[in-house]
Amino acid sequence: MRPAHLVEAVLFSSARPVSRKTLASSTGLSADEVESALSELAERYSPERSGVVLRQVAGGYQLATNPSCAAAVERFRGEARPAPLSAAAHEVLACVLYLGPLTRGAISRVRGVNSDAVVRNLIERGLLAEKGPSGEGQAALLDVTEEFLISTGASSREDFPPLESLVREEELERVRERVLGREGEGR
Amino acid sequence: MTGRPLSDFTVELDVYSGPYEWLLALILREELDIFEVPLRELVRLYLSSRDPRSPQALRLDTEFVGSASALVLLKSRTLLPAPGDGDAPEDEPASPEELAERLGAYLRIRRAAEVLRGRLEANASCHPSAHQPPPRPGRTRIDRRRLLLSARRIFSRLEEPPVEHLGPITVTVQELAALIQASLSRGPVSYEELTRGMDRLRSAVTFAAALSLAHEGSLRLRQPEPLGPLTLEPLP
Repeated sequence: MRPAHLVEAVLFSSARPVSRKTLASSTGLSADEVESALSELAERYSPERSGVVLRQVAGGYQLATNPSCAAAVERFRGEARPAPLSAAAHEVLACVLYLGPLTRGAISRVRGVNSDAVVRNLIERGLLAEKGPSGEGQAALLDVTEEFLISTGASSREDFPPLESLVREEELERVRERVLGREGEGR
Repeated sequence: MTGRPLSDFTVELDVYSGPYEWLLALILREELDIFEVPLRELVRLYLSSRDPRSPQALRLDTEFVGSASALVLLKSRTLLPAPGDGDAPEDEPASPEELAERLGAYLRIRRAAEVLRGRLEANASCHPSAHQPPPRPGRTRIDRRRLLLSARRIFSRLEEPPVEHLGPITVTVQELAALIQASLSRGPVSYEELTRGMDRLRSAVTFAAALSLAHEGSLRLRQPEPLGPLTLEPLP
């Protein structure tokens, strides 16, 4: 059996992403053979050539349906997609992703509003999880989950653009001017 | 005029679909988060559904304004940081420099949220190839809190019901079975007639005796309708 076949079979049987290490241990292949097999599968399961694609998410690999076939798959399954997240939920996720792990209070401070309800909803959806207390007798720290990485198609936190790159320096300068200028006018 | 004026008003929201009254109940019981309920949409739905020519229009409007105002108040309170939180923001007002810094940080988070929304939308249409396998032995994640709760449920015993209010039982099923059989020797008898003058305990034991005799084929119980008169008939 060719290495690509073994890796393909393991990935096909798993709903969760499988790491290189687990692929090697379950197939008995060497790290190089796994790498070579993944390259072959990535070509075979590219979005242009197949209805099934190889995704590199949450620190592993996963076979999934091609997004362009989603309508047919969802009609077949007869399942509605979960309701999209609210703008507040996206903000909370962004806080935890970039500044986390954070307590609920810290999230609320960054956003300027109480975020406990949104956090609860995100925990229920498996996108956030408590990672233990921030200190003895302290509030729990929250972090993003593997499910979050899968849902965003990210292999790790490093897959996201740096926070500093998302806002240009000129925009920040305008914010400063507005606040400090208004403050000056008020004096 | 009904006692519940808004009982016919139903709402269709992303987070909830059904009677407005139930929506209020779910919010009050904290099973639905007020934060996720778009109040402006709720008002729009009410305005589109109201009939100004209805004789109850004023009463319905008053009722809705009252409950919607309470929801606005509740939601506005939810938006405020919780008092007594160990991580609560400091009371002192921020300096302009600090405020500008915070707004800059928040602007970055807003942009990051937009990036996340795009990624979540783009990846929502990927469906994994296989079913979710059960966790492997030794890798099962156990929630200690849920385990403790389950253990309490399993090992806790229901309390025995108090029986102090019951007097001493001085009659047996056999005695009352003999009484029934003696009455049936004269023909069919109604349960009411049979138990006339008996206290509740003897009536209950008589019923148990009748069931027992019917079960062993010594008599037939006839009751034309549920909760109707019960007649005991001798079998040939």
